[in-house]
Amino acid sequence: MTNLQTPQTTKWWKKSDVKKTFLLWLILTPIIGYVGTTVQLRSIGAPASEVMASVKTLMGVFTWAASPVAALVAALALTSLSGKRHYGDNPPADADHQISNSPRVASTWVVVSTLLCLFALITGLVVLQKDNESILDATAMNVNVTGQQWVWNFDYVESNGVRSADLYLPVDKPVVFHVTSVDVKHSFWIVQMGIKMDANPGYVTETAVTPNKIGVFDIRCAELCGLLHAYMQTKVHVLSQADYDAWLTAKSTIEGAA
Amino acid sequence: MTTVMDRPAASAGHTASRKPLIERLNIVTAIVLGAVSSVVVWQLALKLLPQNADTAFFFNREDKIMLLALIAWFVGFMTGIGALIGPFRWLMGKDLNHDENMFLAGKEQGVKRYFRYTTDHKVVGIQYLVITIIIFLVGGILAMLIRTNLGHAQGGWIQPQTYNAIVGWHGIIMIVATIIMVTGPFGNFIMPIMIGARDMAFPRLNALSFWLIVAAVPPVFISFFTGGITTGWSAYNPLASQSALGMNGYIAFICIFAISTMVAGANITTTVVKMRAKGMTWNRTPIFIYGVVASVALALPAFPVFFLSQIMSGLDRAFATSFYNVAGGGSGWLYENLFWIMGHPEVYVILIPSVAALMEMAPVFTRRPLFSYNLAIMGIAGISGLSVLVWAHHMYISGWAPLLNAPFMLTTELISIPTGMLFLVLIGTLWRGRLWMTMPLMSIFALLWNFMIGGITGIYLSDVPADAFLHGSMYVTAHFHYTLMGAGLTGALASLVYWFPKMTGRMFDKTLSWVSFWLVQIGFNVAFMGMFMVGLAGQPRRVESYAEIFNKGNLVTTIGAYTIMAGMLVLLHGVISSWRSGVKAPMNPWQAKTLEWTVANPVPLENFETLPVITSDPYGYGKAQS
Repeated sequence: MTNLQTPQTTKWWKKSDVKKTFLLWLILTPIIGYVGTTVQLRSIGAPASEVMASVKTLMGVFTWAASPVAALVAALALTSLSGKRHYGDNPPADADHQISNSPRVASTWVVVSTLLCLFALITGLVVLQKDNESILDATAMNVNVTGQQWVWNFDYVESNGVRSADLYLPVDKPVVFHVTSVDVKHSFWIVQMGIKMDANPGYVTETAVTPNKIGVFDIRCAELCGLLHAYMQTKVHVLSQADYDAWLTAKSTIEGAA
Repeated sequence: MTTVMDRPAASAGHTASRKPLIERLNIVTAIVLGAVSSVVVWQLALKLLPQNADTAFFFNREDKIMLLALIAWFVGFMTGIGALIGPFRWLMGKDLNHDENMFLAGKEQGVKRYFRYTTDHKVVGIQYLVITIIIFLVGGILAMLIRTNLGHAQGGWIQPQTYNAIVGWHGIIMIVATIIMVTGPFGNFIMPIMIGARDMAFPRLNALSFWLIVAAVPPVFISFFTGGITTGWSAYNPLASQSALGMNGYIAFICIFAISTMVAGANITTTVVKMRAKGMTWNRTPIFIYGVVASVALALPAFPVFFLSQIMSGLDRAFATSFYNVAGGGSGWLYENLFWIMGHPEVYVILIPSVAALMEMAPVFTRRPLFSYNLAIMGIAGISGLSVLVWAHHMYISGWAPLLNAPFMLTTELISIPTGMLFLVLIGTLWRGRLWMTMPLMSIFALLWNFMIGGITGIYLSDVPADAFLHGSMYVTAHFHYTLMGAGLTGALASLVYWFPKMTGRMFDKTLSWVSFWLVQIGFNVAFMGMFMVGLAGQPRRVESYAEIFNKGNLVTTIGAYTIMAGMLVLLHGVISSWRSGVKAPMNPWQAKTLEWTVANPVPLENFETLPVITSDPYGYGKAQS
């Protein structure tokens, strides 16, 4: 640290603590990026729709974009912490470093954070645009989703009169949900498909998704809706088109007979 | 008001056989009068209000009775504590004389002044500190109940109704505790001395703002035993209008607390604008002052809206108005808008003073000047300005206005720029400092770590498509605990240790401060990392039971939470033992350069004998370099 006192002749990037910070930054950036993305994406699990896949991509991209910043703060903090330390009940002597401002550092910092902010905004807007367009898809099937304390009901608009408590969907077919509630606010969340829309009493709101994987996935209520909120969950069964048609026929026959 | 206190008191001893009214009022008369008036009004209302006054809602009559009783409690309590004496005397044309004002300031009353309507800002600061600790204790116990219940999946031993009530209760009182945790104790005790003033601009309003909080506490306790706040702290309508009687306690609590915050905001803002010492220009004002002012100035527009939203909620319940009732032409979205117009500035009300307090401590514990003071002010101003424009990011998926999602995403993400400035100020101050290894110093590192995680996860949440997945999950809960607790509370605990010597005259036990620091920080990160995981895996918020796949993450969170509790108990022990028998503190134990360290321990009633004159900013550390 003695080189701190050396006059202006030493370039700032040649100082040992700057070098140390830079080295730490180089090491920490990939570590933070890798651990951050891996842990988060692994927790999320496998996506069951294009929308969810793009959410995962977004979160990965954001984590990687944020990791150099986090690594820089960490590197600077670690370097500072490994510098001159003082223990005891009385204050140490004043630091040698007296700089109380650095326009160059401040402006660089602000410019970089503005760029990162714009990057996050634009990436988000691109994905948002894609999600919004899917609601306008004319070929999509329509399902009316009705929340009530504490169950979900699904009405299949194109198949008059069919109603179910578990959701059944054909794979690879776009579907638009028209969501509402009969009592208080609920929130319709298909976990593995990455879509969520509040169910408001008196209003119908829309969201859309195209399931791209056959299987059984979770639907949960994501807005506190009273006593049994925790139990307001059901399943979505994504079937092949043939299986779905068979289910629909069976269902309408039963309901017709009843 | 303050000019009255400039002259030394002639005599404060009142030996008359019959004490004047002003000297007989204290917390006991307040509680008695409050309780009596609420019981009287309750019984009268039971008798007089017609049965079946209206048939629209089942709860209407009971709601009216409970709200009336709570209003009666409030009026009785405030009368009993003596809040009305000043205005009443002024109305009669017999304003308080000097002796009476000195009595109100708590002169020569020892411990008793802490239980009275005392106007001295130092007394109010200590009162705030104690009530903050009490609220945190209750909120912490509730948090432990929640975490114990969630310890494993189907083992919920708390009934759903009780569980929801605990979640709501924990939420709202912790929000209140974090709002007052810095501006209350330190904003009141330290801030006036720091700017070289003898007291606040409006000392009686200062006492008023504190006693309003005391008056607000019983309603929220009563609510727990009348069905509870089962809606979470946000109390969304129409769920709130459907909930049990306990919601009335919430409504009364919020209304009283909002008045307290507005009063404190007006008082603190005026004090800082008008009463800074000679020579303390805006460029020489300590950064903590900026933080406190930004915090209360943000509360000024935010809390009237909160107040209003709850008045409307109460009217919906008691008089079947339909502000939020769709069937009657209202809208639940209206409530959400009003709530979050308060709710988002409010998180910065909590965060900004904590970060500013750490920025104040950074030069002291690194022995070098604050890095880029101007950038710090810019950051605080930028956050404050933007924070009133971001509220609807809580409503991306509410369906209210999908076309506004993109604009709100823009304003929300813009906040990362001024927030980044605060990071630069802190990290720039640590850089090449001579670090004095104390708990406040390490709190700066802890804040950088926690706030970094809270900030980055905030960017995911501000992104509409990602929020469509994350909203309403445990991920959100973990995120805001990282910002409000990881960043906010860390700053408040550092402030406690830092200003403890000035406030109590004794040093905070060093070992205990370290032990609690590490327990809290490690426990905190374990707990809320676990919560991030289960949130990402799809566990919704505010659930009392969950699918088995979330077992592991919840167990981790519960273990972390118990570690936090251990740390907080150590801290509490530290506060009590150091206050009672700690090492006597010198006048300026940290060798800091702000004004509060230039006054003696204990701080004299009028702080300064002669008012100081300021010639430079308080960050002149570091060896001069030519």
